[in-house]
Amino acid sequence: MKTALSTVSRYVDRRQAFFFPAPAVAVLFLIIVLPVVFNLYLTFTKWTVGLGQPQFIGFDNFVEAFGDERVWNGVKVMIYFSGASLALELALGLAIALYFNRAFKGSEVVQAIYIIPFAATPVAVALIWRIMLNPEIGVLNYLLTSVGLPPGLWVSSADAVIPTLVMVDVWKWTPMITLIVLAGLKSLPQDPYEAARIDGANPLQIFWYITLPLIRPVLIAALMLRSLDNLKEFDMIYTITQGGPGIASETLYLYSYNVSFGFFKAGYGSALMVVVFLVVLVFNVLMNRLRRDASVV
Amino acid sequence: MKNVLKSAAFALVLSAGLMSASASAEINWKQSQGTEIRFLMNKHPFTTYIEPKIAEFEKLTGIKVVMEAFPEDQYRNKLTIELNAGGKVDGFMIMPGQDDRYYWKAGWLQPLDGYISDPKLTDPSWNPKDFFASFAKSSSVEGKQIGVVINAETSLLAYRKDLFTKFKQKVPANMKELEAVAKFFHGKEMDGKKLVGITLRGKKAAATSQWVDFLYSFGGSWTNAQGKSNFASPEDIAAFKFYGDMLRQYGPQGGTMLHWAESTSSFMEGKAAMIYDANVFKALYENPKESKVAGQVGYAVIPAGPKGLQLPHVSNWSLSISKTSTPERQKAAWLFIQWATNKENGLGALLAGVPSGRKSSWDSKEYKANDKQPDWTAATMKSFDIGQGQWNPPVINVPEIRDITGQVIVDAIEGKDVAESAKKAAELMDKKMER
Repeated sequence: MKTALSTVSRYVDRRQAFFFPAPAVAVLFLIIVLPVVFNLYLTFTKWTVGLGQPQFIGFDNFVEAFGDERVWNGVKVMIYFSGASLALELALGLAIALYFNRAFKGSEVVQAIYIIPFAATPVAVALIWRIMLNPEIGVLNYLLTSVGLPPGLWVSSADAVIPTLVMVDVWKWTPMITLIVLAGLKSLPQDPYEAARIDGANPLQIFWYITLPLIRPVLIAALMLRSLDNLKEFDMIYTITQGGPGIASETLYLYSYNVSFGFFKAGYGSALMVVVFLVVLVFNVLMNRLRRDASVV
Repeated sequence: MKNVLKSAAFALVLSAGLMSASASAEINWKQSQGTEIRFLMNKHPFTTYIEPKIAEFEKLTGIKVVMEAFPEDQYRNKLTIELNAGGKVDGFMIMPGQDDRYYWKAGWLQPLDGYISDPKLTDPSWNPKDFFASFAKSSSVEGKQIGVVINAETSLLAYRKDLFTKFKQKVPANMKELEAVAKFFHGKEMDGKKLVGITLRGKKAAATSQWVDFLYSFGGSWTNAQGKSNFASPEDIAAFKFYGDMLRQYGPQGGTMLHWAESTSSFMEGKAAMIYDANVFKALYENPKESKVAGQVGYAVIPAGPKGLQLPHVSNWSLSISKTSTPERQKAAWLFIQWATNKENGLGALLAGVPSGRKSSWDSKEYKANDKQPDWTAATMKSFDIGQGQWNPPVINVPEIRDITGQVIVDAIEGKDVAESAKKAAELMDKKMER
C-alpha cells in the first residue's frame, strides 16, 4: 500500500508541470475554450433555441449579415459612439492628468473624488442616468428649466441619443484614462524638461515637443485598454436605451444580443458576435502596431 | 301530515344521497403522495399570492412543491434555456399570447385536456365552464388547452374624472372623439403643470401589445387571407398613423422611449388627461402613496374605430405542465395547477388584486362588497367578453415580428412616412415570419 502511494506520488512529482496546473486548465477549457468553439460552430448553422437541432448552412449567416440593414446601422452606431467617446476621453483624460500632475493643495482629495464615477458599478450608474435623463420626470431637465434653459429630449430623440450616451461614457471613463496617463507622467525623466527650460522653451512648446512624444506609448496603451471595453459597450447602453429610440443607439453588439436572446436565433446571433470580435481584433492589431512604432521613437 | 312527514323523510334521504354522491366525486388528492415537483414562476402578484399557501396544498396532497420565481425578463430567458436543456421543470408560468406557438413547436407544452376530462384527476368543483371563454381559447394551441389562466388582463382607457367633469368633456366613444378630447386637454395648465392629452406606450416592440387594440378597432390585422403581412393595407396604415400621431401631437415628450413604466408614471404624476394601457395598472393609479390621481380615475373600453369596431385584446398568464417531465410528476403538477386555480384561489387572488379568469370570482359577494371602482369592473367584464386572444402576430418568432412592427410605430411617432415604413416592414415580416 505504502509503496503504491509512493509510486503515485513519485509519478506526480516528476510531472508537476502537468499535474499542478491541470485543474485550472480543465476549468479554463470548460468555461472559455469550449464555448468559443461551440460559438464558432453555431456561426455556420441556422438554429432557433428549442426548435430542432442546429442545421449546417455554411456561410449563409455572414451573407445575410452583409445584406442586413441593422448590421450596417449597428456598425455605424458603433463607429459614431466609440469614435466620439474615445476621442473625448483621451483628450479630456490627458488634459486633466496634466492638471493633476502639478502638486496643489488638496490634490489627493480632488483626485479621490474625481475617480468615483470610474469606481462605481456600471449598471447601477446607468440606471440612475436613465432616470435623470427622462425628459418628463428627470432631474436634468428640471435643472435646465429652472435656470431658464429649454429642456432636452436626451435619449428620447434619435438625434440626441448618441451624444447623450457619449456624455455618460465620458463622465464614467475619463478618470480611467487620467489615472493611466498620470502614472505615465509621474515616471517621465526630468532632464529634457530642464534642458528645454534652459533653452527658453515656452510651456506649449514643452508640452508639444517633450511631453506628448514621451507620453505617446502610454496614451496608446490607455486607448487600447479603453477601446477593448468601449467597442463592446453593452451594459450602459442596454440599461439606458436598449438600443432605442427605434434602432438609433443599437450597436452591432446590442443587435447581436437581441438576435440571440430576444429572438433566440443562436446561429445568426453567433455570427454577428464573430463580426464584432473581428472588428475589435482588427482595431487592436492596428493600435498595437502604432504602439510599437511609438515606443521605438 | 303523514304525507308531509313522508316527503320530508324522502327529501332527507335524497339530500343525504346527493351529499354522499358529491363526497364520492371528490378525487383522491393523496394519489401522488411523496412526489416532488418544481415550478418556475415569473415574479408576479399571483406568485406572491400563492407562495405562502403552498403548505396547504402540500398538506392536502403530500406532494412537495419547489417554486422558483424570477423577474419577468430573466424569467423568460431562464425558462427557455432550462426547458431546452431538459432540466427538471415540471410546471411553469406562461404568457400564451406571447410564447404558446414557440413552446408548442419546441415540444415543451403538455396538453391538459386529458387531465381535465379524467374524473379521477379533476374534481367536478373545478368546473372548466367557470372560466371566461376568451381566456380558455387564448390558452389553447391547435385546439388543445395548454394552460389554465391565473391572471386575466385586458387594456382600458383610463381618464381623469375630475378634469372631464370640470371641463365638461364626454368620455370618448370613438376614435374621432378620442382625438378631439386629447387635443382639448393637450397644453392646458393645471396647478402650474402643462397637461398632455394622452399617454401611450411608444417604445418599439413594447408598444405593439397596446397598439394592437387600435389595429383591430381600425379593422386591420396582422396577416391577410393569404397569410402574408397585412401592414401595407389601408386599415393597418391608418392604425399605425393614428397611434403615432396621437402620441406625437398630444402625448408626452420623447414618445418613442415610453414603456409602460414611463407612461403610467406620467399619468400618476397627474401630467396626462388619459392613458391607454393594461387594466391591471388600476392598482398603480389608485394607490394614493404612489399616485397623485388616486380616486379620480374613470375607466372605459377602447373607443370604437371608424367602422364601429371595438376590439380590445385579452392576455393572460397561465400555468402549464412541462412535456419534458415524467408522467408521475406531470400528474402531480396537474393536481397543483388544479388546486391553484380552484374557485377559492381564484377569488382569493382577485381579492389580493390579481384579476381572476373565473367568472364566479367577479360575481361573488366578497368581491362586489369590496369593489371601489365598479366602472373599472364593468369595463373589464365587457372587455373580457369582446376581447381578442390573439394580441401578438400569429407566428412562432413573436419577438422578432414585434420588433419589426415596433419600428413602424416608432416611425409613425417620429412623423415619418408611415405608408413607406409599413410597406418596408411588411416585406421584412414576410421574409422573417415562421409558423
